[in-house]
Amino acid sequence: MFQRMILHDSAVLYTIAAFSFAVSIFVAVSWRALRMRRSEIKHLADLPFATATPASHDEPKSKSTADR
Amino acid sequence: MSDTKITIEFNDKIVRQFLLATVVWAAVAMLVGVLIAAQLNFWQLNFNTSWLTWSRLRPLHTNAGIFAFVGNSIFAGVYYSTQRLVKARLASNFLSQFHFWGWQAIIVAAAATLPFGLTRGQEYGELIWPINVMVVIVWVAFGVNFFWTLARRREPSLYVAIWFYIATIITIAMLYIVNHLSIPTSFTHSYPVFGGVQSALVEWWYGHNAVAFFLTTPVLGIMYYFLPKAAERPVYSYRLSVVHFWSLVFVYIWAGPHHLLNTALPDWLQTLGMTFSLMLWAPSWGGMLNGLLTLRGAWDKVRTDPVLKFFAAGVTFYGMATFEGPLLAIKSVNALAHYTDWIIGHVHGGTLGWNGFMAAGMIYWLLPRLWSKPLYSTALANLHFWIGLVGILLYVSAMWTSGITQGLMLNGTSENGTILTYPNFLDTLNAVRPMMLMRVIGGGLYLIGWFLLAYNLIRTIRGAKPVNGTIEVYADVPAPSAKKLGIAGSFFNPPVLFSLFALGFGCAWMFGGDFMKIAGIVGAMLCLTLAYSHYESRGKSWEAWYDRLLVGALPFTLLTLIAVIAGGLIQIIPTLVAQQAANLEDRRQIPYTPLELAGFDLYVSDGCYLCHSQMIRTLVPDVLRYGDYSRLGESIYDHPFQWGSKRNGPDLARVGGKYPNLWHLRHLEDPRSISAGSNMPNFRWLLTDSIDLANLPRRISVQRSLGVPYPPMTDAQVVALAQAQAAAISADLRAAGATVAPDKEVIALIAYLQKLGKYEHVTHNATANAPGLAD
Repeated sequence: MFQRMILHDSAVLYTIAAFSFAVSIFVAVSWRALRMRRSEIKHLADLPFATATPASHDEPKSKSTADR
Repeated sequence: MSDTKITIEFNDKIVRQFLLATVVWAAVAMLVGVLIAAQLNFWQLNFNTSWLTWSRLRPLHTNAGIFAFVGNSIFAGVYYSTQRLVKARLASNFLSQFHFWGWQAIIVAAAATLPFGLTRGQEYGELIWPINVMVVIVWVAFGVNFFWTLARRREPSLYVAIWFYIATIITIAMLYIVNHLSIPTSFTHSYPVFGGVQSALVEWWYGHNAVAFFLTTPVLGIMYYFLPKAAERPVYSYRLSVVHFWSLVFVYIWAGPHHLLNTALPDWLQTLGMTFSLMLWAPSWGGMLNGLLTLRGAWDKVRTDPVLKFFAAGVTFYGMATFEGPLLAIKSVNALAHYTDWIIGHVHGGTLGWNGFMAAGMIYWLLPRLWSKPLYSTALANLHFWIGLVGILLYVSAMWTSGITQGLMLNGTSENGTILTYPNFLDTLNAVRPMMLMRVIGGGLYLIGWFLLAYNLIRTIRGAKPVNGTIEVYADVPAPSAKKLGIAGSFFNPPVLFSLFALGFGCAWMFGGDFMKIAGIVGAMLCLTLAYSHYESRGKSWEAWYDRLLVGALPFTLLTLIAVIAGGLIQIIPTLVAQQAANLEDRRQIPYTPLELAGFDLYVSDGCYLCHSQMIRTLVPDVLRYGDYSRLGESIYDHPFQWGSKRNGPDLARVGGKYPNLWHLRHLEDPRSISAGSNMPNFRWLLTDSIDLANLPRRISVQRSLGVPYPPMTDAQVVALAQAQAAAISADLRAAGATVAPDKEVIALIAYLQKLGKYEHVTHNATANAPGLAD
């Protein structure tokens, strides 16, 4: 049994199964990501800017710019 | 909802603590790195001292680099960004402080044990079991603090950086616990529960994914937060970040076996590891491009802003390392590159370029904000960048050149592949010495750059007042669970149920008998058809499930756990079930005698496995150089496995009986007296330190409980067996003209080395006794 598990020639099956599995995940997630609403995308992408992080080394700039 | 607003003050003290710890430990890790790189050039720098010897310091360097340097930097980044992304202060000050001081205690404990040979002997999993327990406790405290904070958040949506942090916390917990399962023999020693091929697979499932989920995913989360902040524009494509996350998390966990290509690991696992590694190109480069394209319109700032310089270069190195990794996972490329300096170059491209530069960029961005004072010197930070970049390029190009040279020389054959072109291993070592020196210079430059950062930091924070960030929020914001999906709702829904049924039928198809195969095929087809039909008619319910899942931290975490656990289970469970000594059909390792086991422990303790592999690959040059290729059963009782990952010296899988005992004695005492030009340290303390016979019975007992077929022996018998064999070796040495007392460690190590490559042929009626003990 042990030798057979090492030497059997069904490796191609694993490769195809692995590829199919990963592609299906990739396609499903991509499809879902593409279907996300624009407003939702904008809200999520802007989250890092929802909290001001003043930077004293940017003092010459206007506050609004520095806060982004 | 009332209009009353309250001000929340973030816990930035913990961020400052981790940030300072990052700077200190990074310097230590790099300093040790430069020292051990120099030791490979100048063996005298080992100082004939056990705790300053290369093989003792190398684990200190890797552990300091991964867990002390990068660990502290990711904790700083995670704590800073999480509070702001979820608009809530960290849940517990106590847990935050416990996390910080606990993590520093772990680092100090590691530094106090590894140089003294107290190790588990598994790469990146060297820390002894009491420290492992500390790591788990502190990591749980980190996880509780993090998820508790998420539960108190005032922002319902979870930004993609938080996804990466969640994946990091749960996956590292899983990997660390499984890989470190051990049975103690004393307060400072234990044997891993997995041995042989199981140990190899679990080790690299852990080792590879430590890179994936400790050095990559948290830093990606940091990239997705800090890069947009520094560039002052949102991430290029949030959609791409979603695809990046899920495809990376699903694919990464499967790739571990690529560290064991062309070895005795079953072929199906090697193929699986290689295939998934190649597929990693897509998500990794998707993430890299997303990072770089975030700088669109801000490239002019890169010229002057050191933060953006570091981020841009760091993300580029991420792309470079994640292109190189899958390339090295191709079996034929791996045949050339494995066990050579190419792998070292690859690893340092990732750690110095990706982790180091991202950490530096983050530190320069955070310093003025955490201390409310401008950075002391932007010019110095720019100088740091250029010195560091030149250092990395020198280091990496030197290691590429060295690795490819080594690979070509070690694999070079003539006479139609029947004769080695360079039969002397030392020829290959001496050919790459200039590149090894170049590495010291490159690493040294990078270290100088880091010292510049430390100086800049000190001058910036001197006299500065630490400040904590604040945010104004509505006092009575509704809980983020308005659309919350419970545990039941997370799993009892069409997408999950159809997936589970399809998986079950798929397993029946692949592993079942005749009837089960047919049932599996029919069931899987039916399941897919029904799932598609259901999606067609009720597609909105599928999408609603996904949308609600993403705003619930707990269901999201469980789904991520399933994603990362699947790859591990499919690879590890068949290996645990099938690859056991009882199932062998070819060769089986002869268990070590008590003295040989003491020698094995010394081999592990002194880190010999870091330079010498015990795995003759299924490649012609390997077989020509070292002998018959290694069978899986020949190391089935090794806890942990000793296949190695780097050959600074030759493979030792069949060194047993090749040389007389005196040769080994002289070689360990002064390698250059036997092999002129060798860079191996002198291991002279082995001739003066005594074998720990007192603990040997306990070690044999633990080995027996792990499945090594030792016959019943009393403690006195174990010691007597060891003493008898030691006396025989000592007498042999005396007859050859060398005097060594039989109780010295070198005797045990010689006994072990002389055992390597000994095996028994397995017959159908082979019993599980221990024939080796009668030898």
